[in-house]
Amino acid sequence: MGAPFVPTLAYAGSDVIKRRPEDFTIAANPFDPAERIVIAKAINPDVGIFHGLKADRAGNVLLRKGGEELLLIQASRKVIVTVEEIVDKVDPEAAGARFVPSLYVTAVVHAPFGSYPAAAPGYYSADDKQLREYLAASISDKTFAVYLDKYVFEPGGHDGYLEHVGLGRVGSVAP
Amino acid sequence: MTEELQITVEELLAVYIAREMRDFETCACGAQSFIPAAGMLLGRELYAPNMEIIIRGTRDFNPIATPRDFHFLAQRGKMDLFFIGAIEIDKHANFNLHVIGDRDAPQVLMPGQYGTGLLYYAVPRIIMFRTAHTKRIFVEKVRYISGAGTSPEGVFRRTREVRILTPLAWLKLNQESRIVELESVHAGHSAEDVQENTGFDLNIGGPVPVTPAPSEKELHSLRAIVKSRMLETGTYADLARTRLGVA
Repeated sequence: MGAPFVPTLAYAGSDVIKRRPEDFTIAANPFDPAERIVIAKAINPDVGIFHGLKADRAGNVLLRKGGEELLLIQASRKVIVTVEEIVDKVDPEAAGARFVPSLYVTAVVHAPFGSYPAAAPGYYSADDKQLREYLAASISDKTFAVYLDKYVFEPGGHDGYLEHVGLGRVGSVAP
Repeated sequence: MTEELQITVEELLAVYIAREMRDFETCACGAQSFIPAAGMLLGRELYAPNMEIIIRGTRDFNPIATPRDFHFLAQRGKMDLFFIGAIEIDKHANFNLHVIGDRDAPQVLMPGQYGTGLLYYAVPRIIMFRTAHTKRIFVEKVRYISGAGTSPEGVFRRTREVRILTPLAWLKLNQESRIVELESVHAGHSAEDVQENTGFDLNIGGPVPVTPAPSEKELHSLRAIVKSRMLETGTYADLARTRLGVA
C-alpha cells in the first residue's frame, strides 16, 4: 500500500487505541468534516521473516494458501523466507499454495521443519503435544526461561532442536 | 440445560439464533463457533432459505479466502450479521475478548479481538452469546474494552443492533440510553433469575416478554437435518455428534 496511514472502521472507543496512542488516532474525514474516523499508522517492519513451502534458485516462493503473509511481506522493507524445500523452479500455478515472486524476497533459507511445532501444509501437521507444552510454559517468564533452555539454548540450533524433539512425533500429511 | 425440555444448552441457543435469520442477509461467524454455525444452518433450513452463510475455518461454508478479505467484506457493508462470544460484557455493551485478569499482569491473553474489534463496528446486526449467564460474565465494567458498545461522538459506524443471547434471556443494547436492557426471558426462567445473575442493573420495570421455548419442529430439524449436514460436511462434526440430539 505504501501510504503512511490507513482509515478503518475498527476499534473506536476501545482500549486497543487507548493503549497504543502512537499507532492510532481519530481524525475528521477530509471529505466530510462532520464525520470522524479511526486512523491507523502504517506498520513497516525493517525485516519480515516468514516460513514458506518451496523456493527456487531465483527466489520465487510458494506459501501456504489462506494466510496473511503476503500483506506482511508487502509491508516489510526486507523479507527473509525460510522454506521446506529449495527446487530448480517453483510453479506459479501450483495447487494448494500461494505464489510470491522473487521481486518481494530479499533472501531464502532452506529450513526443513521450519514451522514445527506448527504445521506446514503438505509436509507435516501441527504437533499438539509440543504446542501445549509451549502454551503451558508461556504462563510466566520463569517457566518460559526453562522452556527456552530446553528447546532453544541447549540444543544449540535448528538441527539440534529437531533431534531433541524427535521427529517421530511430527505427524505426516500426504502432499 | 433445561430439564423439562430435554435439550442441551447448545441446542437451545442454536434454535434461538435460527429465529433471527433473515432472507437475503449475509450472516457470518468466526472459527471456533459451533453454536452460531448450527443456528445459522437451522435458520436457513426453517426461516431464511435465501440467506448467505459464512462459517470461517470450514470447508463447505467459507467462500472467503483470507482474513483480510473477510474483514474488508464487512467493512464495505456486505455483512449483515456477525456473532461474538466475549469473555466479559458490560452494561454499555463493551466487550472484552482479550484478557483474563489485569491487562498488565494477565492470567490469559487471547488473540480474537483483531478481527472482532473491526466487525463490531462494521456489521449492522451483532449477536453476542454465552453458554452461561453469570455475574463474572455480565459485569458493571469490563476489565479491557476490545470493542466499545458506543463510539466516540461523530465516528462513522454501521452497527445498528447489539443483542446478547444466554441460556436465560435475550438482552439488548438500548440505542438511545446506550445501556443494556432485558429484552425477553426464555421460557422456564424469570426476570428475577436474570437480574440475580447479572452484575449490573437491568432496570426491569414492568412485565418482560417470554422467549417461546424451542418447538418440536425446530428441535427435530436441528437434530436430524442440521446435525447430519454438519457430520457430512465435517463442520464441527465432533460437537454435532456429542451435543445435538443427545439429551
